[in-house]
Amino acid sequence: MGTQIKDVVIKPDAPNTLLLEKHADYIAAYGSKKDDYEYTLSEYLRMSGIYWGLTVMDLMSQLQRMNRDEIIDFIQASQHECGGISASVGHDPHLLYTLSAVQILTLYDSVKSIDVDKVVEYVQGLQQEDGSFAGDKWGEIDTRFSFCAVATLALLGRLDAVDVDKAVQFVLSCMNFDGGFGCRPGSESHAGQIYCCTGFLSITGQLHQVNADLLGWWLCERQLPSGGLNGRPEKLPDVCYSWWVLAALKIIGRIQWIDKAKLRRFILACQDEETGGFADRPGDMVDPFHTLFGIAGLSLLGEEQVKTVDPVFCMPEEVLQRIGLHTDLLT
Amino acid sequence: MHGRVKVKTTAQQEEEKRKEREKKLKVYLTVRDAIFKKRTNSELDEEALQLTQQLLASNPDFATLWNYRREILLHLETVKEDEEMQKLYEAELLFIESCLKVNPKSYGSWHHRGWVSSRLPRPDWKRELSLCDRCLSLDDRNFHCWDYRRLVVKASKVSVEQELQFTDRLIGSNFSNYSSWHYRSTLLPLLHPQPASDPESACQKHTRPTASPQTHGHRVCEEQLLKEYELVQNAVFTDPNDQSAWFYYRWLLGRAEREELISCVYVSREGERVAVAFSKPVNVVNLMLVLDGQPQQVEWRSVHPQFRHSPVWLCELPPSSISDINNEHNLTVHWTEKHTHRDCALYTGRMESWCRESATDQELFRSELSVEKTSVLQSELQSCTQLLELEPQNKWCLLTIILLMRALDPLGHEKETLTHFQTLKEVDPMRSSYYSDLCSKFMIENTILKMEYAEVRVFSLSDKNLSTLCHLDQLLLVTHINLCSNQLVKLPLQFTMLHCLEVLEADDNAIENLEGLYHLPKLEEVSLKNNQISKIADLSPLATCPKLTRLDLRGNPVTQADDVWAELAELLPSLTELLL
Ligand SMILES: [Zn+2]
Repeated sequence: MGTQIKDVVIKPDAPNTLLLEKHADYIAAYGSKKDDYEYTLSEYLRMSGIYWGLTVMDLMSQLQRMNRDEIIDFIQASQHECGGISASVGHDPHLLYTLSAVQILTLYDSVKSIDVDKVVEYVQGLQQEDGSFAGDKWGEIDTRFSFCAVATLALLGRLDAVDVDKAVQFVLSCMNFDGGFGCRPGSESHAGQIYCCTGFLSITGQLHQVNADLLGWWLCERQLPSGGLNGRPEKLPDVCYSWWVLAALKIIGRIQWIDKAKLRRFILACQDEETGGFADRPGDMVDPFHTLFGIAGLSLLGEEQVKTVDPVFCMPEEVLQRIGLHTDLLT
Repeated sequence: MHGRVKVKTTAQQEEEKRKEREKKLKVYLTVRDAIFKKRTNSELDEEALQLTQQLLASNPDFATLWNYRREILLHLETVKEDEEMQKLYEAELLFIESCLKVNPKSYGSWHHRGWVSSRLPRPDWKRELSLCDRCLSLDDRNFHCWDYRRLVVKASKVSVEQELQFTDRLIGSNFSNYSSWHYRSTLLPLLHPQPASDPESACQKHTRPTASPQTHGHRVCEEQLLKEYELVQNAVFTDPNDQSAWFYYRWLLGRAEREELISCVYVSREGERVAVAFSKPVNVVNLMLVLDGQPQQVEWRSVHPQFRHSPVWLCELPPSSISDINNEHNLTVHWTEKHTHRDCALYTGRMESWCRESATDQELFRSELSVEKTSVLQSELQSCTQLLELEPQNKWCLLTIILLMRALDPLGHEKETLTHFQTLKEVDPMRSSYYSDLCSKFMIENTILKMEYAEVRVFSLSDKNLSTLCHLDQLLLVTHINLCSNQLVKLPLQFTMLHCLEVLEADDNAIENLEGLYHLPKLEEVSLKNNQISKIADLSPLATCPKLTRLDLRGNPVTQADDVWAELAELLPSLTELLL
């Protein structure tokens, strides 16, 4: 009946230095294989894919290698009548991709190239009676969407467009016995969701409502002997969870509770020395998603070769300073 | 994107794969374009259902296709009879089930299933519940399925008792199931709420909807708590390294939330200042101050501009309202929003006065179990101590023992607690900073308790390996603080809550940041020997403390800076004694 700890073993020959140039080349080349089958299959999340790629390039000071004009045209073409933005042309608008698009435009300092008022209207329209947000008009409710909504509005400087008090009440109603948060009231705690909810509470100035010591304990218990972090008890470690757990710990002022050196070792071991990029775990296939969260995680751990990342918006801190957005963190 | 192992391939295999993918891509694009074209032409027919099915079967995250299917189904509802729709929706459920078999973690499939269930003319919730059973038997941690189960349970009014029995079954077959323990934590407060008005009364069964188990003040009645302790004991004795049961146990042992109230009102003739402390961080919107029967126009501010929510708020009274020492004054602070207030009398001949709630350790820091049930905690402690004898390295057991000891008698168990913390750091070095911070917190709580019992305004906690400072809102009235020989790296912003502080001793730490020494109106002496202050700029917060006369910086890197005397004289002109 006893359970063994699920974990990975880091081989002695795994990469242990940061291969920045390889990663930049990997991301720069990623968008050029547009006729690739796998690439086409991921069209339903293209806008987020672009955000991951651009953000990691910006963190590595390589943003200039990406095609700015093409990307802005693409975003303009993806904004719908209702104001919402879709993952790609021909797809339906959704809060997930609306946030990604606004993040991209913020990186490029050009939110004005879309109809901002319409975006605000779209977000506003998705708030429900109980304060929660639907992801789109089909009504799926999730605290991820609460985060998307307030993050989008905060980047546009329009947080006052929604009922923030009610939104806060909803997110707090998703708090669990372990201090964490789930998708909806009653849902189990999950590191991705905890990141969204602590980020949400930071943006709305309500971090004091978090039981930081209890939640911080749960989060630091995500670290496994390999040094990697998992997203829930009894799960395998993963670079993306490493980011979500780490960012949440940073937001609640408890980042010192994990073993930074061991986590750094794990993240570095997830690099692919041949192709560049990061995988979820050592030896797996790389992708832009884990590449961003690998680099962003290293930034939070104090890596000086990349820019400082903001733990709430997962964007370079300097970009947020540029638009005068100050992130609330617990001390 | 997850768990795809990279495999080495030959050039020939690579070429074959490339061709295969090219073929697949062609088919995929043809179908996708056909679908988009039909949708642009508003064709809401069964052919479109066929086409979208083709793509969703292998790519269920293509959310737009689910949306299109819903549009089609909603349209068909307007032209078809209920019986036909029932069949169509049942077919849809079968299709979703096949998608879930391929990808049981697709948000889109699960959401669509919920949607279809809500449209079905005659829903079959039993079938849905058994689908959840099957799915959870394959992966008992699939949170999508758990969430869908909660939806089904709600829609079909399955009783809380039945669901609790379901978790009994799952936990019985495998203790190590965090999802089931989590589910219990949400069910128990519904089934056995502790009546808010009368904490001593017996368990009452009713299903008042409540907030989450964390935010909801007090949660489970004692009778049920005792049963839960037994279940947890079973689990941890079976597999002492399984974290699920231990997390649950910690929740059971958790303390009640403190009531929101004004815990202290402090008034000083000097500066004609009022400080108000609350039991929790608040953002004071409606705080009314009445002086000798007259409401006052005052401006409240938190102790630091960075705190929008703070447990301590300050204001100045209008000039000359209380400065004459020959006058007696009565002050009342009303917290209108919470319908509560606190009075404070300032007598003649006195420079300051305060009125506060005499908080006991029970209220401040201890477990919520009533004192009568100390025997229960005692027996829990005994069980855990037994387990520790079998498993002397078990970190979960060690930590739980510490918590139980604190719930029982924090001061009496202080020495053992410290020993256990030491062991914890050795057996679980990855989390040693967590244990250090938690131990610091408990040491601070103990010191506050001792200070309360001694009725003094001196807080002394030196040479205790303190790595962090907390509960500083409890130190509003403290005049002397001694934190020497610890491992502090900063005096955090919360330090600004020590509004009465006159003397600070924090020698022999690793302090490099003094941001909390900000606008402390009474601070006169600061000793920071042998710390890590390296720049003059790091000392700038001190410039906001008007009464500072003595500063000892010996043994800090900053003393090596050029022109340090001159620069400090300029920065801190009130100093009469500077030691470098
Ligand atoms: Zn991942």
